[in-house]
Amino acid sequence: MIYESTLYKIVRYVFLVLASVFVLVPLVPLVFMAFKSGREMQETSVLTPPSNWLNFYNFGYAIEKGHLIKAFIITAIILVISLTIQILLTCMVSYVLHRFDFKLKKVVRTAFTLTMFIPVVATQTLIFRMMHAVKLVNTMWSVVILYSGVGIVGIYIMLNLLDNVTREIDEAAWIDGATFPYTFWNIVFPLMKPGCTTLLIIQGIALYNDFYIPNLYLNRDVQTFTIALYKFYGSMSTPFEIVSAAIIIGMIPILIVFIALQKYIYSGIAAGAVKM
Amino acid sequence: MNKRIFSTVCGVVLAASLFTACGGTAPAGSSDSGNAGAADSNANAGSDAAAPAASSSGFKRIADIDAAALKGTSITLYTHGGNRVLGEEKKDENGNTYRDESYAYMKHVAERFEEEYGIHVDLQVNSTEDDIRPLLQTNDPGIDIYTSPNWSIEEWQQYAIPYCTLDEAKELYGDYATTMVNDGTNVYSLMPAKTYNNAVVYNEETIKKVGYDSIPTTQAEFENLCQALRDAGIDPIAMHRVENWPLSTINDFANYVAGSNDAYPSMLKSDEPFSESHPMGKTIRMYTDWKSRGFFEADTYTDFGVAMDVVGNGKAGMMLFGAWVVPQIQGRCPEGTDPSVIKFAPAPDFGKGQYVMASAADGYSISKGCDNVDAARLFIEYMSEDAQYLADSGYIANKKGVEPIVPPLYDIIDKAVEAGTCKVLYTYATDQNSINNENVLTEANLLADVKYAGNLFDALDVTKQPDWSAYDAQVEKQNKAYVEAREDLGVSWQ
Repeated sequence: MIYESTLYKIVRYVFLVLASVFVLVPLVPLVFMAFKSGREMQETSVLTPPSNWLNFYNFGYAIEKGHLIKAFIITAIILVISLTIQILLTCMVSYVLHRFDFKLKKVVRTAFTLTMFIPVVATQTLIFRMMHAVKLVNTMWSVVILYSGVGIVGIYIMLNLLDNVTREIDEAAWIDGATFPYTFWNIVFPLMKPGCTTLLIIQGIALYNDFYIPNLYLNRDVQTFTIALYKFYGSMSTPFEIVSAAIIIGMIPILIVFIALQKYIYSGIAAGAVKM
Repeated sequence: MNKRIFSTVCGVVLAASLFTACGGTAPAGSSDSGNAGAADSNANAGSDAAAPAASSSGFKRIADIDAAALKGTSITLYTHGGNRVLGEEKKDENGNTYRDESYAYMKHVAERFEEEYGIHVDLQVNSTEDDIRPLLQTNDPGIDIYTSPNWSIEEWQQYAIPYCTLDEAKELYGDYATTMVNDGTNVYSLMPAKTYNNAVVYNEETIKKVGYDSIPTTQAEFENLCQALRDAGIDPIAMHRVENWPLSTINDFANYVAGSNDAYPSMLKSDEPFSESHPMGKTIRMYTDWKSRGFFEADTYTDFGVAMDVVGNGKAGMMLFGAWVVPQIQGRCPEGTDPSVIKFAPAPDFGKGQYVMASAADGYSISKGCDNVDAARLFIEYMSEDAQYLADSGYIANKKGVEPIVPPLYDIIDKAVEAGTCKVLYTYATDQNSINNENVLTEANLLADVKYAGNLFDALDVTKQPDWSAYDAQVEKQNKAYVEAREDLGVSWQ
C-alpha cells in the first residue's frame, strides 16, 4: 500500500475539487437557462437559478420546433450503420496487417498513417463533388459512407490488442481445418471485442458530436442532432433558453450510453491502450 | 480458402477503406471550420461558372411566362430570413419564447402563389448563405432561389444567373435599379422593393421619459438627448459592439456627415481617410466620442436579439440601424406595450443637412443550378407585385405599375422627405472606385470585420479618457497603411 501524507491528501483533494469545478461550472448556467422563461433570461443573470424548476416549456419547444426526435432517429441510424461498418473494417484491416505478410504491406500501412495528417476539410472539395455526382448529397448515406472509413487510431488500437492474441490460436484453428474467414470470425474477432468497445465509444462520441460533415452534406430535411441544434441559431438572434434545453436533451443519449457501458469503457480503454 | 486469395480480398477491402478514411471523424474543433470546406472549394468554383442556362437569358414579365405549363412543378427557395418562414420569435404572457406564425409572410405568399399557379415553393431556412455555398458551387438543382447575401460581384457571377439587364431593371425600378447587385450590364439579384437604410430606430416612450417627443434634428440636441438618457440610467444607443458588423452602419452615417453618397469610395482621394479631414474619419471619431461619453451600452449583449430586446423594453433608447430592425423590435416589445412606440427617424444634421440613404431592397437570386427557371422567375415577379407582402416585410413596393403600400414605420422619414427637410441619397452603385477602395482596405488588412472602424473605435480606452493618444496613433497607423496599400496596388480615384 502506498503511504500518503496528510499534505499530499489535501493537495490531491484540492486538485480534484478544482478540476471538477472547472468541468462542472459551465454546466450550471446551462441547466439554469434551460428552466428559465425567455423573459427571465433577459432580466436575470445566467448564474441566477430559475424561479420555477418545473418549467419544462423550453424542452417541449425544442423537441417540437427543432424536430429533435427525428434528428435523434436519423443520428442513431447513421451511427449504428457507420460504426458497425467502421468497426468491422477496422478489425479486418488490422487482422490482415498484423497476421499476414504481402507485397506493399509497408506502403499500405504508411498510407493509413498518412491519412492522420490530412485535415478532413482539405479533402472535402473533391469528396463533396463525388458525392454530388452520385446524388448522395442531402441523403444520410453520404454521411454514413464518410463515417464508415477506417482510421489509423482504430488500427493502432487493434494492432496493439492483437499483439496479445497469440498466433498459435490461429495456427491451431488452421490445423483443425478452419478457413481464414472462419478463423477470423469465430476465433480472433471475439477476442478483439475490448478494442471494438473502445473504438465504439471513442468514435461514437466523436461522430455524435460532429458538426462539419453533416452541415456540409445535409442541408434539408435530413439532419443530425448537431444540425438540428444549429438551426436554433438565427442570423441575428438566438433564444438561448431553448438552445440550453436542446443541449441538455442532446446530453441524455450520451449519459445513457455511458451508464450502460461504463464497465466496458474502462476495461476497453485499458485493454486497447494505444502503443504507438 | 487459399491464403493468397484471402489476402487479396482483404487487400481490396483495405484499399477501399483507405479512401473513405479521409472522411472519417472530424478533428476536435472542426465545427468552427464550418465554412472551411467551402472556402477550399471556392478556388475550383470558377471553372464551374458555366454560362447561364439557356432559358434564363432575357428578362420575362409574368405575362410572358407560360404559367400553365409549370403547373404541378416545384421550386426551392433558401433564405436566411427565418422569421418570414417560421414566424417571428416572441414572448408569451409567461415570458416563454414562441413563434408567431402570422409573421411568416413568405410562407403565406408562397401558399397564395401555389393556390394561384399550382407551383409548390419549398422554403428552406439557413443561418447564412455560406451554408449553401457548396451546393451552389456544384450547381445543385436543389436550390432555385436564394435571398441575397453580401457577396462580391465575382461571387454573384459564379453562383447566380443574370436576372435581367440593368437597363431592363431601370425601366421598371428607376434609379433604384443601380443599387441592385449588378456588374454594370446585368442584375444578379432582383430587389423589388425600396427601403430607407440606416437611420435612428427609437423607442418613443423611452425618450419621452427624458422630455423628448422625437429625435432632434441637430447633432448638439441629439447628443443632449443621449446625455439625458445616460443621466436617467438608460443606455442611449444599443449597438451590440461585441460583433463587428454593426459598425458597418458607420458607412451610411459618413455619407450623412459628408452630405453625399460617396464617403466610402472617396477615401481613395485622401491621404488621411481616417483623420477628421475626411468624412469617414470624422464619423468614426464621432462614434468613438459617443462611446467615451457613455452613449453606447455599458454591458455586453449575448446576441443581437438581446440588443433589440433592450430597445423594446425601454432599457435602451435607440439603435442606429435600418428599417429592417423596426418590425423585429416591435415584435419584442413587452406584453401590453403598443409596438408602434418603436419609430424610425432620420439621423440628425451633422453639419451638411439631414439625409437618409435609400436603396433597392429584399433581393432574390436564381441559382445557376436551377432547373425550373421560369417558375423561379414567376415566383419572384409574383412577390415583386405583392405590395402587401413587401410592406409586411418592412419594405415599399417599387415596381412600375404596382401601387405601393407604405409601412407605418416610414411615416416620419416620408414626411421629412416630402417636406424637403430630409434629402434622399441613393446607395452608391458599385463602380471601379468602390471596388478599388475595397481592394486597398483589403490590402491594408483593414476590411475584414470592418477593422477600419473597429480598430479605431476600440483604440480609445474609456478608463483613460480624455486621453486620445492611442486613438490618434491608430489613426496615423491606418492612414499610413492605407496610403501604402493604395500605392502598392497603383490605384487612384477615377
